[in-house]
Formats: sequence, C-alpha cells, structure tokens
Amino acid sequence: MADFGSDSSEKKEEFFSEAQEIVDGLGKLLLDLEGAITESRIDPDVINEMFRAVHTLKGIAGLFGATRMSGMSHELENMLDDVRMGRLDLSVAVLDLLFKAVDLYTHILLFERGDAPDPEHEIAKLLSLFAQVTQPDESPTSNIFTQYDLDPGMFGVLTEYEEHRLKSNIEAGLGLFRLRVRFSLTILDSALEDLKKKAKPLGEIITYLPAPSTDESDFENLELDILMSSKSDAALIDRTLSVEGLVVNPVKRRAAGGPPPKPQAPVSRSPLPKIGAPPSLPPPTIAGPGRLPADLMPETRAGTPKAPPAKSGRPGARTSMAPHAPGQAGQFVGKSAAQTTVRVDIRKLDRLMTILGELAIVRSAVGRLAERLRGSVEHRELGTELHRLHRTFERQLAQMQNGILEVRMVQLGPVFDKLQRGLRAISREYSRPVNLVITGQETEIDKLIVEELSDPLMHMVRNAFDHGIEPVEDRLSVGKPEVGTIALNAYQKGNHVVIEVEDDGRGMDPKLIIASAIRKGVITEDESREMSARDAYRLVFMPGFSTKVVVTDLSGRGVGLDVVKTNISKLGGIVDVTSDVGIGTKMTITLPVTLAIINVLIVEIGGRSFAIPLASVEEAFVYEPTLTRNVEGREVLSLRGQSLPICHLSTLFQIDSFDAEGHDGRKFYVVTVAVGIRRLGLLVDRLEGQQDIVIKPLGKSLKSVHGFAGAAELGDQRVALVLDVAAIVEEVLAGDQSRYLAMSGDGRI
Amino acid sequence: MSDLIRRPVRDMRRAADMGKRVEYLAFMLGTQIYAVPIQHIAEILKPPPITEIPRAPRNVVGIISVRGKLVTVFDLRRRFGLIESPFDRRTRILLTDTGDDEPIGLLVDEVRQVYRLAEHEIEPAAALGGDQPAYIFGIGRQDDALLVLLELKALLES
Repeated sequence: MADFGSDSSEKKEEFFSEAQEIVDGLGKLLLDLEGAITESRIDPDVINEMFRAVHTLKGIAGLFGATRMSGMSHELENMLDDVRMGRLDLSVAVLDLLFKAVDLYTHILLFERGDAPDPEHEIAKLLSLFAQVTQPDESPTSNIFTQYDLDPGMFGVLTEYEEHRLKSNIEAGLGLFRLRVRFSLTILDSALEDLKKKAKPLGEIITYLPAPSTDESDFENLELDILMSSKSDAALIDRTLSVEGLVVNPVKRRAAGGPPPKPQAPVSRSPLPKIGAPPSLPPPTIAGPGRLPADLMPETRAGTPKAPPAKSGRPGARTSMAPHAPGQAGQFVGKSAAQTTVRVDIRKLDRLMTILGELAIVRSAVGRLAERLRGSVEHRELGTELHRLHRTFERQLAQMQNGILEVRMVQLGPVFDKLQRGLRAISREYSRPVNLVITGQETEIDKLIVEELSDPLMHMVRNAFDHGIEPVEDRLSVGKPEVGTIALNAYQKGNHVVIEVEDDGRGMDPKLIIASAIRKGVITEDESREMSARDAYRLVFMPGFSTKVVVTDLSGRGVGLDVVKTNISKLGGIVDVTSDVGIGTKMTITLPVTLAIINVLIVEIGGRSFAIPLASVEEAFVYEPTLTRNVEGREVLSLRGQSLPICHLSTLFQIDSFDAEGHDGRKFYVVTVAVGIRRLGLLVDRLEGQQDIVIKPLGKSLKSVHGFAGAAELGDQRVALVLDVAAIVEEVLAGDQSRYLAMSGDGRI
Repeated sequence: MSDLIRRPVRDMRRAADMGKRVEYLAFMLGTQIYAVPIQHIAEILKPPPITEIPRAPRNVVGIISVRGKLVTVFDLRRRFGLIESPFDRRTRILLTDTGDDEPIGLLVDEVRQVYRLAEHEIEPAAALGGDQPAYIFGIGRQDDALLVLLELKALLES
C-alpha cells in the first residue's frame, strides 16, 4: 500500500482524486480512440495525450509510493510509446489491453485506499499480455520516403516520432508540402502555435526546422522550414494559414521506379541544420509553451527491459537526438483547461452550505423583527427600512446558495463513459456485440449522487446485457438487427434527473417472473394470483430474485437488482421498470438533482413538525372524509377521476393525532406526493408553510429507522424530520402492492 | 545534597501514583449513581427542544441540534430499565466524544461531580455478582459513594 506517512490524509485524498481524474480521462480518451479506429482515422494527439496521462500517473504514483500503480504505468507508457512511434499497431487486441489497464487502475486505486484486495496478480497478468503484444516487429519497413523528392538532409533530422507520422500520412495518401515562413523571434512561440492550430483542419505539421537565413544580418527574425502533410492543395494551405511571407511548395512525388536518392549523396542545398547546431543562429527558443519536461521524452524508456530495441527505418537516424527535438515537443499541447479549474473537497462545500443554512435562519429572524417593527407605531419607518434590507439579504442569500449548488453539480458524462467501458469489456468477453447509445451525458447532478451512481447503473447495464440482449442467432431469427442496442438516456425533469437504461432485447415475461418468484419462495402462489404485469416487474427488485437459470459472471450472482434499488433509494431516488416481451425492457431511475438544500413543505402531525420535500409534493388540499372509500382495507380518495390511496401519517408514525378518533369538525389536509408514477395522499393535521432547509443525515444509531431522509433546523432550535417520500411511498404501497395495484387497476406500462 | 536528590524522586512517585487516577463524571439515573470517564464527555447540555423520532428504538429520546450538528439522544434509564422521572431543572444531556464513534447525547437525571479514582478504588464488575453486561466495567468506591462505572464504547455498541 502507498506510504503516505502520518498526518497527510489531505495529500492522500488529493492523490486519489487526481489519479482518479486522470484514470477517468484515460478511459474517455480510449473511447474516443476506439471510435476513431472504427472510422480508421486516428488522431495522433489522442495517443499523445494518453501517453502523457499515463506518464503523469506514473509520476504521482511514484511520489506517493503507490508502487503497483507506478510499475504498471511504466509498462503502459512503453506500450503507448510503441503505438505512438508506429512500432506497434493499434489493433483491437492492443485496445483491449488498454481498456483492461484503465479498469485495473481503478482497482489499484481502490486497493491503495484499502477498499479492495491486492491486484498484484491481475497486474502481473496484464503485464505479461503487454509483453506479448509488444514483441518487436522485425519485418523491415519499406522506405517509402524515397518516393518523394525531399532532400535527405530533412530526413536526417526527423525524430523517430516525426518519421512515423510522416510515414503514416504518406500511407494515408496525403500530399507533402514544404513551407517557408519567417517569424519574429519575439513572437515565435505563439506564432508557431497559431500556425499549427490553423493547419490542423488541413493536415498535420510534421516538423519545423530553422532554415539558413537568406539575410545573414537579420537577427530579429527566424526563418522556418516546415514539412506538412495535407490532403489540400498549396493554394488552399496558403489561404488557410494566411501568414505574411508564407511560401508553400508541394513536394513532388518521384516517378515510380525512379532512383531513390542515396542518403549520403551530396545535395545541392546545404543540409538543414538542427536547431542549436549552427553557430550563426540565436539561442533557440522554439517549442517553449508546448515543450515537455525532458523526462517525458522517450529516453525514459532506456531502462526498460521489455522495450523492443529502438529501430529506425534508415541507418544513421539519430534516436539519441530525439529527446530534445522541437518537432516532437510541439506535438504536445499544454493542458490549459486544467489550469482554470480548482479541485475542491466536497466537505468544504458542505461546510459552506451549513453556514448558509445558519444564515438563512438568521435571515428569517431578521424578517420577523422587521415585521414586528413595522407593526409598531413608533418604529414603523425603521421597520420598513429593515424590511427592505431583509429582502435584499434574502435575494443575495438565494444567489449564493445557487452558486454553491452549481459548484456541486457535475455532468453525468464521466459515469456514462465508465459504463461504456464496462459494457465494451463484457460485450467482447461474451462475443455478443452490443451498441451503447448515450444521450444527455451533459445532464448535471449533485457530485455526491454521481459518486454513488456508477455501481447501480453498471449493474443495470450488465443486467440489460445479460438478461436482455439475446445471442446473435436468436436476434436474427426474430428479425432483429444482429447488434443489440442498449440506450442510456439522461435528462432533467423539474428538480429531478431521470436516467433510463433501455435495451432492445427479449423483454421480460410477467408470467415467467411470477413463476420464478414462486419457485424461489419470494411470493406465494396465492399472492401471485392478483398480480398485474407491473407487480411482476417489481418482483425483480426483490432480494433473492434472479430469472436467469444459468448463473453467469455478469449478473445473477445473488447480488441482484434489489441492491440497485436500495442504493438508489438511499439517494432519494426510485427505480421503475417497464417491459414488452420480445421488444425490450426499460428501467428508469428518478433522482433528486441535489442532496444539499431542499425546499420543503412544513406540516404538523400531532403537534410535531415534519418537512416534506416540495420536489415530491404535487398538491395539498382539505381532506373530505366523505369523498373517501374503503377498498380492501385501504382508504382511497377519488380525485379527478383517479384513485389516490391515503396514508394517515399519524398512524404510520404512531403519533397521537387529532385525526385518530372522530373528526369533531376539525380540518385535515391531504398532501399528495408523487414518486415516479406512483402517488400517495399523506394526511396531516396542519400545513405550516414552505421553507428552504439544509438537510442533515440522521446519525448511525438511527439508521434502522425508515421513512426519514434526515432532519433540518427550522430556526429557534427546532429540529424537524424530513420525510423520505420515496421510502414512505414504497413502504405504504409496496407493503401490499398486489392489493393496491389490483384495486387501482393501474396496469399502465 | 542528598536531600535535594531525594525530594524530586518522592514527588515523582506521588505524581506517578496520581497518574493512575482516572477522572470520572458521576451522574444520577433514577436513584443510582453512574459514572463515565470524563475524557469521553465533550459537553454537558441543558436539554434543548428534543425532536422525537417516530418508530425509533425505545431508548432513543430523539434528536437535538448542537451548533448545527444533529445529535441522537439516548435515555439510559430506558436502557437500564429504570424509573423515568419527567424532565426537571436538573435534567442534563451529556454529549459524548469517544473519538471514533459519532457523538451522541445521554439523557441523565442529574450531573453530580467529578471523582478521581485510583486503581485500588475500582472493583471489577463481577463484584456485583452474576453476569454483568460488558458496558459495566467496574464499581467505583470513594468515601461513601458507590459508582457504577460505564464503558461508553461497549454501551454505544450494545
């Protein structure tokens, strides 16, 4: 395990979060790469960026003594370097290894945290696979450069990487161009960056070298000789780059069979000097901003036993010069986006939120004071002034609150990327092709929710794959496309975020589910009789339920969807299922956008205050006992043609309330809450009003108590419990769901 | 010279002897005096309004807010099956601090005093006869007082 020394938990946390961020980024790059491969258009920058990410990981892992991680990074770095240099083809097998490595990183991080067993064995396995694919390829490469009318002097200074890029560009059928440009030394760096940026849409700048100046006395400017590959013509390049004094010359292709120039042959032009070589040149400042520290360069591979011997296409290529080649350094563009963001420990935000909550309490006290002053004769003016101040205070507090909430929000994208990687792995492992279609990855949700979301979602996706998507033969026989599709959709709906996992697989047959549930003793035959299709779907969330006869590695290991459901409801969310046999299954998760601050309706039951999150409240109205009926032992209210089951909270919570015995003319209220498509009327004594609260969790000692999401201070030291609406709806409706559903006739799917 | 040397040694002995003494906070539950190591008590509170938790275990009185933090309050009288007297001006809540566990509140009828008990003043719980629960780790005796010494960790876990 990593050695963090004592009293460095913060550093440790920083290491974990930074490492995790890099690993997540790697996963994302990998997916980009895979997409690019299928379109056979690989962006070398992606590979470079991965290389850099792995290098950084190696660095920080080394710093923190996480030897497992630094060791693996070292090998991975070598492999990526081979890919980068074209020594290793980016085959599907290589890609698989990269995906495995990313997953293993996550495992290693868990291990370093002490949350997972030592992955030593897995690492060794992966490394041996690395070694297999990186066996040096000894087949000689044909020198295709000779087909071009380029002077060998230029080839002579190409780094191995540049040579590889040049080669693959030529192979891709791109034309070569030689550009001459003159930049002032003072703006050289930025001008070059700018040029590269402009050139990117057209092609790639392979290398740039200082050219022998035409004017020996000119020390202000530097002339550059640039080699660029592009599919466009010279005129277009000239127009696009639009640099003053730019000269673009296409490099001619030799006639086939033409005599290749001998590398040693004397050339008419003086050979292009390497930067720093000619004494007449001013000190080189090229490759400033994009330059990598020297240790990032391939020379770090020197001590690697497994690395294939560096080979070059031609004799005499100077690999020893590679580490400081400006052309290569220019390939790495600084990660400027990272510099504008800060990493914040979410607990710090929680503290701010708590302070804000206390400020809100102060605010309401000030508000009350203002009202009192306004009510008195002699202080009315003061009161009005205070009232105005109070309003401003209120508004700005709200803004601040929104600001803090915004900071807590993160996009779902990284979670979805992780799912995509996971699905890819199992899809390949089981040779059952599947397409993951993602929409709404930009949907934002509370950081804390996101962290808890990836496991349940992964389980659902695996479940969709394992139980949903049929084997290819089965799909073809019913006329479905060979490749199954799993869709992952996210969108915001009011104060909730909805995430759907939908597959076009075989669907769930309610009859089979019920039969299986009876067999497993989850329900009795009697209970099964009144079950609707929807009841049946809900059975899959019962502990100990699994419809698949064969237990696979993926799902059906006993850890079932019931865990998914528990985890989601811990986050204040719910899971619903709909399915059509033969067409597919859709699971829907509905989650609150944030956990931090919520707007609640304060109600009173038996003299006690309770808070109901407004996000779940649909409406509140006066209770009319005469409009309710008793159906199968449950009180039901007919509301606009729909049945609304009523729950007496006083009964549920065993509180003596006024409504317990006879109604003696008192008014009661029904608060209609909705969770997903399920609705329930909560009967309360009184409505007190709305309030924004900072919800705090109940202590560990109360974790066995269900029905409350936490508690919040209301001011004047009063603490109110916040109802966990999802849990209550679940408890009340699922407690005897068969009866309720049969009665309400709700078979909507 | 020898005097100068001897005296500090004697002082040190006394200090070592005193070091073995542990401070206990004594409080009343019903008619019995109980005590817990004072290092595990962070604060003694006058009871603020307590919010009851429906369906909570019987020995949970409810939750209170202590400077923005929620604290669960337990009623040790219910825990030990003692007579419950209503809150009065002597009723207090002891806020625990055992380091690892979350702080909790212990409702007590009255806070008495701090006893500094030496090892020889503590008898093992077995002195009470029979099997004693793990959270009673001994009986403290000083002057006329008889204290039931509670082990907080075991009490919180039981």
